[in-house]
Amino acid sequence: MDPYSSSSQSGRSGPSPEVLMDQVKQQLAQAYAEEFFGTLREKCFAKCVTKPGTSLSGSESSCISRCVERYIEATA
Amino acid sequence: MDNASLDSPATAELQSFLEQEKQRAMLNELVAKLTDVCWDKCITGSPGSKFSSSESTCLTNCAQRFLETSALILRRFQSMQQ
Repeated sequence: MDPYSSSSQSGRSGPSPEVLMDQVKQQLAQAYAEEFFGTLREKCFAKCVTKPGTSLSGSESSCISRCVERYIEATA
Repeated sequence: MDNASLDSPATAELQSFLEQEKQRAMLNELVAKLTDVCWDKCITGSPGSKFSSSESTCLTNCAQRFLETSALILRRFQSMQQ
C-alpha cells in the first residue's frame, strides 16, 4: 500500500491524515519563506538603495548584505 | 455527501492540527508586524555590521511598547462594546 492511501475503518482510500498534515506544513513553510523574502527585499531596498543608479554599487551591495543579517537578527 | 468517508478520529485530528497551525500563523504574523514596525522606527540610517546599543535598546523597547499598545487598544475596544 502506498503512503497516499489510508486504510480507515470504513475501507475508503485517500491521503492519510499524516500525509495531509505534512503537505499543509510544507505549504505553510513555503508561504512564510516567500513572505519573509519579500519583506527583506522591501526593507533593504528602502534602506540601501536611496538613489537607484544604472547598477548596484559596491556600497549598496554591502549595505544589502548587512541589512539582511540585521533584519534576521531583529526578527529572532 | 457521504459522511461515512470522513473517519471521525481522522477528522478530529485534522481539525486540531489546523487549529494549532492557525495559532502558529497568527503568532508568526504578530512577530513579523512587530519587526517591520520597529525596524522602521529604530534603524534610521544605513544598517551596520552589528546593531549599535541604542538601536538594540530601541528595538527591545519598541517591541514591548507595541504589545502594550495592542493590549491597551483591545481593552478600549472591549469597553466600547459594553
